Amino acid sequence: MLRKLVHFNWVQFVAMVALIALGTVAIWSAGSAREGAAFHAMWAVNLRTATLGLALYFAIAFTDYRKYLTLVAPPAYLAALVLLVAVLAVGSEIYGGRRWLWFFQPSEIAKLCVIAFFAELFGSAEPLFKGRTGWRGFVVAALVVGLPCALILAEPDLGTALTLVPAVLVMMLAAGVWRKGLAVILLVVAILGAALLGAVYEAEKPGVEPETRAKIVRCLPLRPHQVKRVKTFLFPASDPMGAGYNLRQAMISIGSGGFAGKGLGKGETNHLKYLPPSVSMNDFIFCVWAEETGFVGSLALLALFAALCLSGTWIAYVAADGRGRLLALGVSTLVFAHVYVNIAMSVGLVPITGLPLPFISSGRTFLLTVMAGLGLTQSIALHREIQT
Amino acid sequence: MRIRPETLPVGALTCGLAAAAFAVGFLVLAFRLKVVQVDGAADATDGLRRQSIRRVQTEGVRGRILDCRGRVLADNRPSVSIVLNAGVFRQATWDETAAAITNALAAVADVVGRPSPLTERDIRRHLRQNLARPLTVWRDVDADALARFEEQGFRLPGHSADGTRPSGFAVAETFERTYPNGALAGHLLGYVGRDRVESPAGDEGFNFQEMELRGRSGVEFYYDGYLRGGAGESRLTVDARGFASAQAETVVPAQQGPDLTLTIDTAIQAACEAELKGLKGACVVLDAQSGAVRAMASAPSFNPDDFVPVLRRARYEAVSTDPAKPLLNRAVGGSYAPGSTFKPVTALAGLAAGHAADERHDCFGAFNYGGMTIRCARRWGHGSLDVREALRDSCNPFFCSLGVAIGTNALVAAARAFGLGAKTGIDFPVDYAGVVPDATWKMETYHEKWYPGDVAQMSIGQGMLLVTPLQMARVAGALGTGALVTPHLKADLPPVRTPLPFDAGRLAVVREGLRMVVGRSGTGKRGAEGVAAEVIGKTGTAEVGARGRRRKNTWFIAYAKGDQSSRPEAQGTEVAVALVVENGASGGETAAPKVCAILKAIFNGPDDGSGSREEVAHAP
Repeated sequence: MLRKLVHFNWVQFVAMVALIALGTVAIWSAGSAREGAAFHAMWAVNLRTATLGLALYFAIAFTDYRKYLTLVAPPAYLAALVLLVAVLAVGSEIYGGRRWLWFFQPSEIAKLCVIAFFAELFGSAEPLFKGRTGWRGFVVAALVVGLPCALILAEPDLGTALTLVPAVLVMMLAAGVWRKGLAVILLVVAILGAALLGAVYEAEKPGVEPETRAKIVRCLPLRPHQVKRVKTFLFPASDPMGAGYNLRQAMISIGSGGFAGKGLGKGETNHLKYLPPSVSMNDFIFCVWAEETGFVGSLALLALFAALCLSGTWIAYVAADGRGRLLALGVSTLVFAHVYVNIAMSVGLVPITGLPLPFISSGRTFLLTVMAGLGLTQSIALHREIQT
Repeated sequence: MRIRPETLPVGALTCGLAAAAFAVGFLVLAFRLKVVQVDGAADATDGLRRQSIRRVQTEGVRGRILDCRGRVLADNRPSVSIVLNAGVFRQATWDETAAAITNALAAVADVVGRPSPLTERDIRRHLRQNLARPLTVWRDVDADALARFEEQGFRLPGHSADGTRPSGFAVAETFERTYPNGALAGHLLGYVGRDRVESPAGDEGFNFQEMELRGRSGVEFYYDGYLRGGAGESRLTVDARGFASAQAETVVPAQQGPDLTLTIDTAIQAACEAELKGLKGACVVLDAQSGAVRAMASAPSFNPDDFVPVLRRARYEAVSTDPAKPLLNRAVGGSYAPGSTFKPVTALAGLAAGHAADERHDCFGAFNYGGMTIRCARRWGHGSLDVREALRDSCNPFFCSLGVAIGTNALVAAARAFGLGAKTGIDFPVDYAGVVPDATWKMETYHEKWYPGDVAQMSIGQGMLLVTPLQMARVAGALGTGALVTPHLKADLPPVRTPLPFDAGRLAVVREGLRMVVGRSGTGKRGAEGVAAEVIGKTGTAEVGARGRRRKNTWFIAYAKGDQSSRPEAQGTEVAVALVVENGASGGETAAPKVCAILKAIFNGPDDGSGSREEVAHAP
């Protein structure tokens, strides 16, 4: 036990606890701007969930992942698939998407299950199948991540599905899966992505005939609201009261925070409801924090996230085995992808995507998932020595 | 034993690459945040202000109106209104919000004791146009209603107990116009209504404008720009739906408008109105030297206080359809034939045309010309008289023949020299020019030839000649001083005097005649009885209306100069008075005693005045 404590990664733990504290404050502020006692109490809910999360974190951290991963990961993966199917079948529909099963979002839990299963498949010393560094490995990897992604996309929840992609790509890179093919596919994806952006640009740039625009848009593999979001990203000023409203309010909110911020609980765009209350506690909560604490607060938040993600890569580096390394990399990349995409969309660097900001957004399933993932990572740090 | 990470099969390099990628990602975010939050802070703050700050132009309190001695004619009184804060009743939809407001109004109406004057449409319009502003519901509530409101306040809908949020209903203090003397000088002062605050030139872009008092007639209208207060500005913060989120903060305080001092003397004005009480008519008193209007009365009148706080349609219609036309300001807008009060002008024109002062005419009781007969007041004729005696006796044939002798042009020129047929230039919205007819005018208006009989009619102030009492007061003043004044109401305006184009000697002859008018045997002997001043005057009895429904508009015009017998402060004062009473008996009987009373109010001391009156009463 004492030896374990020597290896305890305090950077990760302290950063996590600090983020929970900041998140609770941000949720308090966002909730106080809304009417209804339930919203005013959201910060307490967050704190209770975080307490539960800490218990989960310690339980996972102090258990040797190597003892159960082989046993747990495959059934967990299968269970996640079943839940994802179930949510499509019987989930409750909110805002035109089926993401909720009773009180939780299966897609959030699925992220961790996919990462764990992938680590088990590609990181264990005794390979489950031959040729995992060849094209066969790539096919297996694609299937492992592709199945749940397809189900999540069907909810539909493009953002959540997309955050899995970088995590799996980094894990594939670490596991040495078919690097040449990976490079080619990344290149193809990059080109396709650029082509998509270019097509939307051509369709939506000023002076395009409506018929031409409709023709181009019909050819794109995007839903209308996604085209709108890409358009808002490309032309932020095109429709400030419609599609571009959220982004414009986000930018006003963050920008008006200035260097030092307006003070906790004093965010104007939030309290005057210019930042739509429906998103201020979730996808756009960074705006609330940035407006109230300014550039200083934003940087502090970034520093905590950096500490969290970089400590993960350090744990991956010192991990005792391949599974640990892949797991730590996967979880860190997942967290990073959420943080990066969420903040980047709030400041107009990427199109708007419905993704929560870990620890800051209010959302119980995701908080517990991230804390479980971090617990797993801590477990890798604690159990970095091979037991004899 | 430990296995070094390097000995693991795969991925050590990836860990470094991932760390580097994360670091780059966070640096990109940090840089972008610096651009947005540090470099873009001003723009973003500007954007936030533009969408959440509303500029309100606030009403400045209107200046007061004072008389020449500083007595208040129009004042502002604090008034309490009960207003509604729409934001307190907000619901998910506008329909529900409007319904919630309607319900709340019904509950408060019971407490206030007055039904809500607002319709569903008013509420919706407020939600559409003035959402962030308080909605005035009950204007000018009385003390009882206010006490009930304050007492029951905590039970009213939308009440905020802790005071951190605004209550649904609140008390707002504003100012209402008030006229301390009631109907006194009502026509002169005019009345006010409410309108949006007018933006000062070059500074627009206010989101909301308060309603401010605006002059609708009279001096209130003419000097509206002068009296109006300086608009202020306050700022409101509104939320995404447009509801006010906090109390308005004052940026520029509104300024009270300057007081307007008039030339009016309340005492003289009151005397004039007392003489006209119950009648139809008008009276103007001018300072004959400066043109300052000392009194300008028109009867019947109206009380401008009745139009406060708002002019209700029913009341306006009652006043505007009254056959006595109380809204008509007869002093400046009434068109009357001057009758015999025009004879001094004819006399002067005759003298100027070369007729000698002692030239005598014979009066046989009627004047015949071109098949037309104009009768004299004295049936059997005055016999032989000169111009002074003709004025004294107001002899029609004398002036008819004089007028015919000098011709239309000379008569018209004289009338115009006395300012007739033209606007007087008074600083007042109504300034009727009247009519001085000539051949061209008659042809244009009636498509008829100008007959010599028209000259005869005009020379005794009948026919198509039309004047206002204000014009006749100027004529009286000009006869007294030799100069025509431009009348004015604002106290500090410089006097404008135009000397008459008549020889002083000839003017003196006419004056002599006019002095005889108020003399013992004159037609206007009752116009100066007991007045402690030198008085000259002229009566007039103008016949108007079709044959069979003849009415007499009775005139008296006078010029008076204070002498040693006057009360001290009136010594040296020169006034010109014109008074007309519709449907009177005659100028000498009806109008002259009234002017006499007004002159006494001006020149006689308080005891002196009543004493003289008794003396008159006991005179045989």
